[in-house]
Amino acid sequence: MWACSDYGFDYEYSSFSPEAFVSKEYTPFFYTEYISYYGDYYYSENSTSRYNDVIVNEWQSYFDGKLDKKSLQYLLTAATAKGVDSVYEHMKGKIAVLPNEMPQLKSLKLDKKKVNAFFDYLRLAKSTELFAATDVTHSWEPQPQITVPAKLEEQILKHFKKAKDPFIKQRLWFQLVRYYYFIERGDETISADASKTLNTFNIYKNAFPQNMMYHRTLGYVAGWYYKNKDYARSNYFNSLCYNYSMEAKIPAEWSFHPQEEADWIRTLQMAKTTAEKATLWHLLGIHYDTQRAIQEIIKLDSKSEKLDLLLARIVNITEHSLGNFYQSSPDSASLQTLKQNTALISSIALKNNTAKPYFWNLAAGYLNFMSKDYTAARSFYNTAKQQLPKDDKLVMAQYKILDWTLYVKELKNIDAKVEAQMIEPLTWFANLKDRKDTIPSLRFYKALDESISNLAELYKKQGDVVKANAFKSYYEFYADNNKIEQMKALLQKQHKSAFEQIMLRYYPFDMHDLYYHQSQVLTYQDKIDEAIVMMNKSESTGFIMPANPFNIRVNDCHDCDHERKPAKDLYAIDVLKTIQSIKAEIKQGKNVYKNAYLLANVFYNITFYGNSRTFYQGKVMQVEGNTPFEIPSTFRTMLLSNKIAEKYYLMAANVAKTKEQKARCIFMASKCERNESYNRSYNKPENANSGYWDVNIEPVFFGKYFSVLKTQYEDTKFYDEAIKECGYFRSYDDK
Amino acid sequence: MVNTSAILRFPSSTCLILLTLFCASCKKEHKTSISFYYWKQNFQLSKGQTDILTETNSKKLYIRFFDIKWNTKAQKPYPEAIINFRQQSPSLDIIPVVFITNQTFEKLDQQGVDSLAIKCNELLKNLSVRQKINCKTIQIDCDWTVGTKDKYFNFLHSLRALSKKTLEVTIRLHQVKYQFKTGIPPVDRGVLMFYNIGKLSADLKEPNSIYNTQTAEKYVGSLNNYLLPLDIALPVFSWALQIRANKVIQVYGKIGRTELSNAQNFSPTAQKDIYRAVRNFFTGGIYIKTGDLFKLEEIDKALLKQAAVQLAAHLKKNEKRTIIYYELGNLNLSAFKAKDFEEISTYF
Repeated sequence: MWACSDYGFDYEYSSFSPEAFVSKEYTPFFYTEYISYYGDYYYSENSTSRYNDVIVNEWQSYFDGKLDKKSLQYLLTAATAKGVDSVYEHMKGKIAVLPNEMPQLKSLKLDKKKVNAFFDYLRLAKSTELFAATDVTHSWEPQPQITVPAKLEEQILKHFKKAKDPFIKQRLWFQLVRYYYFIERGDETISADASKTLNTFNIYKNAFPQNMMYHRTLGYVAGWYYKNKDYARSNYFNSLCYNYSMEAKIPAEWSFHPQEEADWIRTLQMAKTTAEKATLWHLLGIHYDTQRAIQEIIKLDSKSEKLDLLLARIVNITEHSLGNFYQSSPDSASLQTLKQNTALISSIALKNNTAKPYFWNLAAGYLNFMSKDYTAARSFYNTAKQQLPKDDKLVMAQYKILDWTLYVKELKNIDAKVEAQMIEPLTWFANLKDRKDTIPSLRFYKALDESISNLAELYKKQGDVVKANAFKSYYEFYADNNKIEQMKALLQKQHKSAFEQIMLRYYPFDMHDLYYHQSQVLTYQDKIDEAIVMMNKSESTGFIMPANPFNIRVNDCHDCDHERKPAKDLYAIDVLKTIQSIKAEIKQGKNVYKNAYLLANVFYNITFYGNSRTFYQGKVMQVEGNTPFEIPSTFRTMLLSNKIAEKYYLMAANVAKTKEQKARCIFMASKCERNESYNRSYNKPENANSGYWDVNIEPVFFGKYFSVLKTQYEDTKFYDEAIKECGYFRSYDDK
Repeated sequence: MVNTSAILRFPSSTCLILLTLFCASCKKEHKTSISFYYWKQNFQLSKGQTDILTETNSKKLYIRFFDIKWNTKAQKPYPEAIINFRQQSPSLDIIPVVFITNQTFEKLDQQGVDSLAIKCNELLKNLSVRQKINCKTIQIDCDWTVGTKDKYFNFLHSLRALSKKTLEVTIRLHQVKYQFKTGIPPVDRGVLMFYNIGKLSADLKEPNSIYNTQTAEKYVGSLNNYLLPLDIALPVFSWALQIRANKVIQVYGKIGRTELSNAQNFSPTAQKDIYRAVRNFFTGGIYIKTGDLFKLEEIDKALLKQAAVQLAAHLKKNEKRTIIYYELGNLNLSAFKAKDFEEISTYF
């Protein structure tokens, strides 16, 4: 079936792609159910490498692009202190040859002063990585002790005082603050006034531009305040880092932890601008309280881009709470949240005063759609339509998905006009599902699945079951052979309309599948000649039987039978042909006892109770699993019934020559009778959709054949064998 | 039964005398000893905590050394929250406890089980040596199931052989009731965890999940037949369930009656022990939203006694047992005094 989950398991509940609306830098914080960060961010182990690209770029522009990226990457992010030395020595002509992986800088025309300053800095910086660029690793060994060398302070200070170049000087300032942070990290008693981390930061903070380096330094200051329990200040500084760059977002958001209400109020008071306040509310909105954050930011600045992520999250969270993998119908609390969110977002969208009004109108429309207020949803979508950025493929596709699902919900019936209207969107979706077209990040699967289900329901209501089945194939359809014939006629139709053509792209089966299914059904009606004709038309020989279906034993034991699989593979078609020839012999009066017994065995074994369940596997019936409850209820009676087997056991008993043979046949018939007693539970209409665990199987009844055996065949050897092997029979006998 | 409950109303000294009178051959006060779990990551005892150990004449202390959890990224089990001794452990018999998630055994293969036992033993040894602890017994805490039984038992078997120590494990009530399904662990002793017996539920009518007599009653009947000698772990903790939109969001040990009685933040509801947040605010790093419900689940002296009486009635008499209270690190010293622990322990 095409409706498999190969479009991504995580987001199957969603029809709303945050990527369409929210700036890429917020991607890690898109709503996700189980993991910390959305998408690839979850998998990246980058706490010591997240700034690598930034650092390389900064140095590249320091050298005015004259030192290539690859060399810089090696020197800055890969080389050891020794490797750095070698490259430098080689450049100065003191070493003749370098290993291959090391960059050769000799031939480059670099500013000598800058090069010397670079290597000078680099050697110092490498020595700080031992304590500053470590990561917590999970291990059974003790965590490595991080020691911060005391004499390094003097070295960094000396370099810092000497440095003239502002680029280098700022980096050394960063090194110094970071160094003090690690020195003071374990000391909870140190006051802010006595802290070298803070003092060093504060003295020089206005001497440098507020660039990336500044914010990385600020991150350590935020960390210092956190360790020393000044959460208000820590959170404020983290919010500045969060706002400044994409790279800082994950660590800053991770560290944002208001403790007491008083901290939070103080943090808010520290914000110097409306934008800073908006960032703080935005951070509160990500994991603590989205509704409140949106309201607060709207009050501050309805055009703030800090709203985008929160709006996407509120929509994704709402749709997830309404229906996901674990829950098919929403609970009252989810509906309550839906109501609140719909009211909140609608009221904001109606004002059309945000930076992306189309985003708010689509979100409000979709929330109203989820609230089943289709009129309101249509009105929001109509407004959005006028505001859409027409050249943005993803946004336009998102609009199309929302518009289409609403269009389908609004349909009362489907006539030729509607079908004509649907050709274009159905083609568009079919191309997506068949991967003839791809729109990255588009979440279309749920919308498609639900809308074709809606179409199928409408067609069913109109009495057009063939079209209903074409869109959403359903088992009951195949219970009626006339319907299958209608479906075949449609598939074989010479001149299909444009609508029929696109509709059939959603139908999972072809002619061969239907022929094969018909062949199976005919087999279970004991119409073997016709079954063979159909199987031939299906151009399939069917599956290989796992055991010899013509054998039977007193006690069913599929594993034993499968172990003694026939040497020659027996396909379904071989089974049918063998039945056919056996029947021909019976007709001629040849070996009637033996042949009837074989027929009975095979009809027993191709049912659920037999050793060759493979016979009923096929695309249409889709029987999986090991209990009758995994057989779709439409086909359950057919695949559970042993009536045909019973008929042939009685036929064999009738013509049997010896009492032993008769006893055996009667006993086998009793197995069919006993299985029928299980079937009474399996076939009950109220159990059609139940699982194995929630159905009580009624006690086995002892039918007529046990009594026949006991009254007429107690003196046979077979009777003793049956008593020995069969517990049911034993308990009957004991009564 | 009538007599026992009548005795309960007397002060503890009277109670002891009466107990001796009614049941002269039991000599209960000699049979049970008192001990505590210490479950926090940083080991540091306050004066009050040290006093409790002395006053209850505790000879042993069960200290959680580390947890073992399955790391999804590495697809390996790793130790977490390894104990950090901020002070030397007291000169009592220290029994290191290791908590292992059941998921660890769901994911591990047999080879992994053996190497887990080796690593676990090594880490226990290293941590003990560093603290100069010479332990004779190790305790493993894992809520195993039928599905993980074989691997868990293999692990215990290996660990016992490797460590050459007495091995104990925690036993939950369901493992007692269904002992033939969940199996008897291959160890020397079990510790019956007589708490966390109910569901953490957003349903406000659901009884106290830490302990309630009705739920416990469904399980205690099988105790007498359990095939391992049992010590008893009893709860002396409380917590509050934060419920939002009919879902339990989190459980907090640090939110108790005092916090919930702050009228600026919470108002009591018509239902006992259920409070409603009246504003949005942060407290102790937790964000609380207007309308959040807090369901307080407390263990007080009276309830603890109820548990002890119920349990004692189903245990084999005359067995030497340790009663371990969970847990010392977060113990409310104003609610529980040494004499309370002594009194409770006399029921066994």
